[in-house]
Amino acid sequence: MKPTNGALATEPARVRADKDADAGLPLTRDDRANLLRYMAMMRFAEERGLTLYRQGKVPGSFYDGRGQEAIPVGSAYALGPRDRMCILHRDLGAHFVRGVTPDRYLANYMGRAGGVTGGKDGNMHFGDRRLGCVGMVSMLPDMALVATGMALAFKHRGEPRVALTYFGEGSTANGQWHEAMNFAGVHRLPVVFILENNRFAYSTPNELEFAVDPVERARTYGFPGVAVDGNDVEAVFERTRDAVERARAGGGPTLIECHTMRMHGHGAHDDMSYVPPEMFEEWKGRDPIERYQARLVDDFGFERAEVDAILDEVRAYVAECAERALASPMPAPETAFEGVFAEEWEPLGDGHAPWSRWQAAAAAKEAA
Amino acid sequence: MAEAQLTSDEPAPAVEAQAPATRELTYLEAISEALREEMRRDETVICMGEDIGAFGGAFKVTDGFYEEFGAARVIDTPLAENAIIGTAVGAAIEGLRPVCEMQFADFISCGFDQLVNVAAKLHYRQGIAVPIVVRLPSGGGFSGGPFHSQNPEAWFLQAPGLKVVAPATAADAKGLLISAIRDPNPVCFLEHKGLYRTVRDEVPAGEHAVPLGKARVAREGSELTVIAYGSSVHLALRAAEELGEGIEVIDLRSLCPMDTEAILASVRKTSKVLVAHEATRSCGVGAEVSALIAEHAFEYLDAPVRRLTAPDVPIPFSPPLEQAVLPQLDDMKEACDELLRY
Amino acid sequence: MSSSGTSAALAAGGRVEVTMPQMGISVSEGTIVEWRKQPGDEVVADEVLCEVSTDKIDVEIPCPASGVLESVLVGEGETVAVGTPIALVLTGESNGEGAGTAGARERAAAGPGAGGSSAAPGPKGTGDRRPTTDDPGELDRSRFYSPVVQRMAAEHGIDLESIAGTGVGGRVRKKDVEAAIAARSAAPAHKTLHTESPYRPEPEAQAPAPSARPALAGERREVMTPMRKAIAEHMVRSRRTAAHVTTVVEVDFSAVRRRRAELRADLERRGVKLTYLAFVARAAVAALQEFPVLNASVDGEELVYHDSVNLGIAVALDDGLVVPVIPRAERLSLEGMAAAIAEVAEKARTGRLVPDDVQGGTFTITNPGQFGAIIATPIINQPQVAILDLEAVVKRPVVVDDAIAIRPMAYLPLSFDHRALDGATAARFLSRIKAILESGDVS
Repeated sequence: MKPTNGALATEPARVRADKDADAGLPLTRDDRANLLRYMAMMRFAEERGLTLYRQGKVPGSFYDGRGQEAIPVGSAYALGPRDRMCILHRDLGAHFVRGVTPDRYLANYMGRAGGVTGGKDGNMHFGDRRLGCVGMVSMLPDMALVATGMALAFKHRGEPRVALTYFGEGSTANGQWHEAMNFAGVHRLPVVFILENNRFAYSTPNELEFAVDPVERARTYGFPGVAVDGNDVEAVFERTRDAVERARAGGGPTLIECHTMRMHGHGAHDDMSYVPPEMFEEWKGRDPIERYQARLVDDFGFERAEVDAILDEVRAYVAECAERALASPMPAPETAFEGVFAEEWEPLGDGHAPWSRWQAAAAAKEAA
Repeated sequence: MAEAQLTSDEPAPAVEAQAPATRELTYLEAISEALREEMRRDETVICMGEDIGAFGGAFKVTDGFYEEFGAARVIDTPLAENAIIGTAVGAAIEGLRPVCEMQFADFISCGFDQLVNVAAKLHYRQGIAVPIVVRLPSGGGFSGGPFHSQNPEAWFLQAPGLKVVAPATAADAKGLLISAIRDPNPVCFLEHKGLYRTVRDEVPAGEHAVPLGKARVAREGSELTVIAYGSSVHLALRAAEELGEGIEVIDLRSLCPMDTEAILASVRKTSKVLVAHEATRSCGVGAEVSALIAEHAFEYLDAPVRRLTAPDVPIPFSPPLEQAVLPQLDDMKEACDELLRY
Repeated sequence: MSSSGTSAALAAGGRVEVTMPQMGISVSEGTIVEWRKQPGDEVVADEVLCEVSTDKIDVEIPCPASGVLESVLVGEGETVAVGTPIALVLTGESNGEGAGTAGARERAAAGPGAGGSSAAPGPKGTGDRRPTTDDPGELDRSRFYSPVVQRMAAEHGIDLESIAGTGVGGRVRKKDVEAAIAARSAAPAHKTLHTESPYRPEPEAQAPAPSARPALAGERREVMTPMRKAIAEHMVRSRRTAAHVTTVVEVDFSAVRRRRAELRADLERRGVKLTYLAFVARAAVAALQEFPVLNASVDGEELVYHDSVNLGIAVALDDGLVVPVIPRAERLSLEGMAAAIAEVAEKARTGRLVPDDVQGGTFTITNPGQFGAIIATPIINQPQVAILDLEAVVKRPVVVDDAIAIRPMAYLPLSFDHRALDGATAARFLSRIKAILESGDVS
């Protein structure tokens, strides 16, 4: 059995107490249903994608974020429409929160014209600029610098806006991670870094990745680092909400380390033989979707049937999206030669912001 | 430069109909002026780079900028090239027009990932325009050694999505930088350090945009075309003066997009071609131009297409070694003479 | 084969020079297609030495003397002017060595050269580190023609052998060709002869030749054969030269069909195949006697009327088209016409035409109808003024005496040069042919 970082694997390093969950920025019952809805959408869509991959409908390779659904959904849910995101490859739920639909995700995996990139790029290398997102590149954590640069523009113009991006713990070993943390810290930029510690960089375990937990490094860049149970969607939401509001108010960056476990291989080609079975079993018991269903029933007054209805509704929606994706044509070969250069600059569009806070703000604005 | 000052004695390039007043500026002053005028004109234009703030930059291009525009628009960055370019990409996506300074073009290797993987491909992949300029003080001739003398333009030409310009005159330095800043794409702006204070020519005051992708006929002739850019343009012009023959000098100005029509038109006229650049030889601009001519103007050739370039070695430090590597005026004259006699 | 075009001159010491023959009066140059003998081979007089292609015809060149082929002076694919030496044949044993090397020396000395001491390329510059073998100063380059030199020479009909090169190693360079063109344009222009193809190099300032383009995926490129090029040039020139008008009549071939049925068996016994084309040719020749302006040529501002009808018959080949001529066709009966057409067609298809077989036509008939076409607008064979076209004879419903009848019909388009005649004349000429054919009175 390979050594693992037992302490990190079982106990989040420093989960902040729930006390500063601002009563003024709560989650409503609808929000909670949404959190489940988006996590389930990610789970079902990825399952569908993996099936399509195994059916030979997906060229190349297949990557998913099974077991990590609470992180993209909880964090993206805290953002307002004018905030910006660089979403990574384990974070499909964040795309859904921002407004990408599963058919466009599946079509992108299949290289179809209806995919988010129209076939120009594959799998999770996409971002819908009309929804305020810049898609990732394979080099990690390059997007940390791009998000930092977007935050630089917000600060430059004095706008109350925030950029948020993700990276795995593996990326913290790369020099660009340091460059991004340092630059963001020097300029106190409104950027939130979500570190997803899913225990392995491909097959390399935490103890071969760093000597000091990266969350500890945040203070050396001059901003807080907080750790959170990455399989608790509301905890992720709250930590992110705090960090976002802090950034929006001019307080600078935050590094949030979400402890989780990647429950599938790095890609569909990876059998995870390097994961100790008992470790896998332990994390299986902490499935974020199972846990949240229980919590909705136990703590928030949902009926079991209500929860099941949400899951059935999402499952049916994903199935319908898969049909649409399969009906999308392959791109015309000549489109391969288009778009190397831009004719003009256009601003990104705003993303969906389903959190009741933003919905209420939008409704108030509409009423006014 | 070990040799006499490189001065450009050709007339000022053609400018717009109502030609504004011109004054003589150095290449460096022209770059500085372009940057200053664009920052005054457009408040989204910002500068980013190492030591460009209060210090005014290693070559003083941004001298006085900090005082005029403030720290928010003249950003003295940490010593981290990927950070400079990566954050510039993000800022550009969000509506700023960052002009990044690499302290030396050589250091682009440390920011290469953000340039070629993020900036160059974003529009192709996602339709996101990235209007950044990366200024690259390049070139050798003053014992800068292997890490302060390189001409890395060919690296960029292999990264679709980047535009690449390399002015030879002060007027073009200003006009191309202005166009580069206004272009919605990432533009690599190669400014030859050897020209900074040695080249001085008439530069239009105020608005002066030279379009990207248009070459300039720096000198007309009918017997031989020298296709050059940057410092090699001046070598070619001096050789042409001294040889007193019908040498045409095409100053490419833009390497991507490249003005292939101008190249082919001149080749069809003279039928003999020398491609000259200070960058190393293999798979360089000269190779590309030669292939273009072979493909599209073969039947107009009266002599083999020749290249005058640095050989495929790093740029050495010691003056005699460096001079042996970098093309000199005598090399240019010899190459021209050989083709003229052919 | 006629050897009239092959000139052989006895050189001093038993050496015979083989020159590019004159193959027809207007032919100014020929291209070596293939050498059948190699230097050192024994040759016998009249044995085929090489194959030459001109813009009119391809011919085999017989060796003028027996002996040993000493050297080949013009390579395959090269085009040289008529009279240019193309090979040397040694006829005796006592001599031989000297002359050839003297010739080579002469050529080597032809250009001023650039001296052999051109500086070796340094580590940078236009060469690479190794001393290059292509140092232009060291080699005889008088026979090397650059792409632009070859192209300009071809465009302007310049004989490169006649130019003294001023480039390195005696190389003929672009400026030498430009000087030759300038010198020639100062000389009086050739007068166009009416009895033959007036092919002359095109004046400059035409559209520039398209730049050489690499083949794209899904296409294949090959250089045109000399015949294809000649056709292309002739056709384009004719289009530019003549004011083409095409007028058409429709002819009822019922009478011809009957007449043909009467005569056919008889003629076939004599080995003559009687075709509709023979009838049309015979009718056309008869009509031409009545309309001499159609048996004419335009020469500048003059019309040249020809006494005889030298009837060109367009013959399709696998790789092109030739127009052998039946001289003095007016003296031929229908049977004679049929035999003559069969003969020239056979010669054309088997490559046995000699240059004079394609010279001097005054009127041409083309017959694409044999391949099923029903209408066309043919291009006049310059410098003639008209070309008659027989299209397919097919059964069509036609109105005869106010009733619909089924008749073997064919269109006969005539393209004529409006510079020489007008539409009314052309129509009357065609109507005359129609009348003859519909009467069936052809013999």
